[in-house]
Amino acid sequence: MKRFLERFYIAIIFIFLYAPIVMLMVLSFNNSRTRAKWGGFTTGWYRALFQNQAIMEALYNTLFIAIVSSVIATIIGTITCIALSNMKSHSRTVLLGINNIPMLNADIVTGISLMLLFISFGFRFGMHTILLAHITFNIPYVILNVMPKFRQLNPNTYEAALDLGASPVYAFFKVIFPDILPGILSGFLMAFTMSLDDFVITHFTKGAGVDTLSTKIYTEVRKGIKPEMYALSTIIFATVFVLLLFINLAPAKKEKQIISKEKRHTLPQKAVAFAVISILVISTLIYSNLSKDKEGGQVIVYNWGEYLDPEALKIFQEETGIEVIYDEYETNENMYPKIESGAAEYDIVCPSDYMIQKMIEKDLLAQIDFSNIPNIKNIDSNYMEQSKEFDPDNKYSVPYCVGTVGILYNKSMVTESIDSWDVLWDKQYADNILMQDSVRDAFMVALKKLGYSMNSTNEKELEEAKEALIEQKPLTQAYVVDQVRDKMIGNEAAIGVIYSGEAIYSQRENENLEYVIPKEGTNVWIDSWCILKNAPNKENAEKFINFLCRPDIALMNFEYITYSTPNAEARKLIEDEDIRNSQIAFPDLSQYNNLETYQYLGEDADYIYNELWKEIKSK
Amino acid sequence: MANKLIDLLGITKSYNNNIVLDDFNLYIRENEFLTLLGPSGCGKTTTLRIIGGFEQPDSGKVMLDGRDITNVPPNKRQLNTVFQKYALFTHMTIAENIAFGLKLKNKSKTYIDDKIKYALKLVNLDGYGNRKPDSLSGGQQQRIAIARAIVNEPKILLLDEPLGALDLKLRQDMQYELIRLKNELGITFIYVTHDQEEALTMSDTIVVMNQGYIQQIGTPEDIYNEPQNAFVADFIGDSNLIDAVMIEDRLVSFLNAKWNCVDENFGVNKPVDVVIRPEDVVLCKPEDGTISGEVTHVIFKGVHYEMEVMAGNFEWLVHSTLMHPVGEKVGITVDPFNIQIMNKPESEDEEVAYIEE
Repeated sequence: MKRFLERFYIAIIFIFLYAPIVMLMVLSFNNSRTRAKWGGFTTGWYRALFQNQAIMEALYNTLFIAIVSSVIATIIGTITCIALSNMKSHSRTVLLGINNIPMLNADIVTGISLMLLFISFGFRFGMHTILLAHITFNIPYVILNVMPKFRQLNPNTYEAALDLGASPVYAFFKVIFPDILPGILSGFLMAFTMSLDDFVITHFTKGAGVDTLSTKIYTEVRKGIKPEMYALSTIIFATVFVLLLFINLAPAKKEKQIISKEKRHTLPQKAVAFAVISILVISTLIYSNLSKDKEGGQVIVYNWGEYLDPEALKIFQEETGIEVIYDEYETNENMYPKIESGAAEYDIVCPSDYMIQKMIEKDLLAQIDFSNIPNIKNIDSNYMEQSKEFDPDNKYSVPYCVGTVGILYNKSMVTESIDSWDVLWDKQYADNILMQDSVRDAFMVALKKLGYSMNSTNEKELEEAKEALIEQKPLTQAYVVDQVRDKMIGNEAAIGVIYSGEAIYSQRENENLEYVIPKEGTNVWIDSWCILKNAPNKENAEKFINFLCRPDIALMNFEYITYSTPNAEARKLIEDEDIRNSQIAFPDLSQYNNLETYQYLGEDADYIYNELWKEIKSK
Repeated sequence: MANKLIDLLGITKSYNNNIVLDDFNLYIRENEFLTLLGPSGCGKTTTLRIIGGFEQPDSGKVMLDGRDITNVPPNKRQLNTVFQKYALFTHMTIAENIAFGLKLKNKSKTYIDDKIKYALKLVNLDGYGNRKPDSLSGGQQQRIAIARAIVNEPKILLLDEPLGALDLKLRQDMQYELIRLKNELGITFIYVTHDQEEALTMSDTIVVMNQGYIQQIGTPEDIYNEPQNAFVADFIGDSNLIDAVMIEDRLVSFLNAKWNCVDENFGVNKPVDVVIRPEDVVLCKPEDGTISGEVTHVIFKGVHYEMEVMAGNFEWLVHSTLMHPVGEKVGITVDPFNIQIMNKPESEDEEVAYIEE
């Protein structure tokens, strides 16, 4: 019995540890885009993964950075260990202590401080800054692994080699190196794994157009992570798992090898040296090749993750000869500091409405010369009008993706027809209501229900909205973001607040779902292209925006992103009649009252919103 | 007499303001087996490492064959070292270990192979060439370390407590082995040890060191029989060390008794130290002794009995093949020839050295 309990306990622990990974692996073979449904077994995501150029490039970057940074860190770390081992014991202890601090330091601190350092030295962010950062954080791990090997060395061994006539360098490579090689290898593998694994530091030190797998995955957060990424994550897990096996088995193997015959030691030594040199040479060649300038100049684009068809980029490059350097962000709030700090140079960004207003106020955007963008005529005038809420004279922005926020409900669970936010306060749907877990979206619902502006800064109105939300909270099942879609598809809730883009997708997966824009009005969100004030390639940026406004290109992007396009001409080209006429994707804005777009309310109002939001969440 | 091969001139060396060697002078003749003997921290290993080139003296010169080699790095010196912990190259075979120095000298393959064979034979480890150091016993490893050094035909072989890590039996075997090697090879050995028995067994010349100073240089017999000061007497073998006053030539007084001795020219009524080896103490009937006392302790040591006798308010250490039981009253006499008279330490440094021991 006791034995059973022991095993049971261990089994539970391992289930906790590995259940998420097993889940991931299972989903990577799931023949359905949503994780709520099992659509049969497929290896399609793995195939799709290897055909996805953006992901493969990120994979290449990840490996390049991991290999080069860990090789360089290994060399530097080993040399440091030589110096350390010759130091007096006191200073060595102090230095090793200092060496250990960066490993315990939070990644975010390391990342931000490196970013600040690079900015203050006037570095332009790019592959090299990531490399420098990775080398920096890898060195301590190498030292941690190599130093014990030096301590195990018989101090006389090196002297014995000198004594027999060896020069110091010869003595090191012939006598010391073979003895510390296991430490160097495990240090290298550890550094490699750390580099492969890193997100936070890379995020803060990367530049335009350079993505590693982790940053690439993160940019997809807004639109939901694609199943290809499950496949990729599975592969990464397997790789790291194998590497760790190697690290742990390497010493045991080494001991066995001692029995084996002569000359063994010279082989790995030469092989390692050769491998190191060839990796460095090849990597530099490829890297320098990648960063080669194209004739037509370039344009540096900073966009949401998964927010542009890569095929469109290719067409643009072919037609104009302009090289597109493409970088992605995951939220407006992540994008803003990078732009504001001036650390990275970009030409175009694609912020959302309220962020555009903020960037105009902070004088970060350039006025667009619309004579260079004749295709602006294709954009639905309703959206140009709506844009005036944040860009009063239509001078700074060109609408790219639009949508509404509304109620998604399951017809099999809700029999009445819904047309008002009030339904979210209806007790019969208690525990079946999903709210958006974001301060502005939550307040929008309450403010609209109460008949106020969703951009209200009136404290009395906000207080009322807060009370309404607190009153509603017991009825809600959860405040969530991504899961609204999946839970609704899986029939786990009856009513949810959702973005229209997600609604179209959900409807495709579950035909019982219906989307409605409440009669009290709602948020019309608009993501628009803007040119930055300090854009180095303003002319190319305008060409790029004009290109994106071309109906065929806008159609391509609509099909890729699936969020509504404000491009009226593109809409006409949609072949599928259902979609072309979809009231969810292309609502006639003139039919609705009280449609608004988020505005930047200023820091004071932000503070009030957040304080009230905290009160609600803590209830 | 052979000429001076190594000549250390005014060597001073300190670590962290701690003086290890102070104006140290010593020469070593060709074909000599010289041992630096002393307690740990006496500077003997530092002396050896300075000769080997692993340490630089703060001042002073190291001369080899009349040439100044003070600034020559170890890999350019025509000497080889055998280290305390063998320091074999564990990832190489025995043969590769031995060939290491020869390969660096670009010797031909046949020459190297011959040398390996010769060296392995010399240290009685024929046929071990393809083994790894780890598979050998401590004594075998040490012999390989010696083989590795001597194939280079050094002018001098430096040995840093090479037998320190071996057990007693093996150590004694290796002592004979080293003497044999030295005689066969005809090269100069400089040997460092803190084991006085090892030093007495193997050396032509012993240098007794303490606190960075030479206490006495001499043949093993000199050092044992005629220690020049209390430190040497105490350090080399067991001894009875007694405060005494030289009354006149050939008469010394200690423990309230007058003793005949053979020493002269110490002056009159001069305080001195007297050393008497335990095997030179003769026990007799109480009434026949110069002084008398009582046996307080007996241990059987195999070859002899070790006894402690309380006589004249001094605890005598006595070695004898005849046993006297505890409690027996005995007298003590010493042959005048076996009473060794030594001057009291004069300089302050010597004093310090003596007290700390």
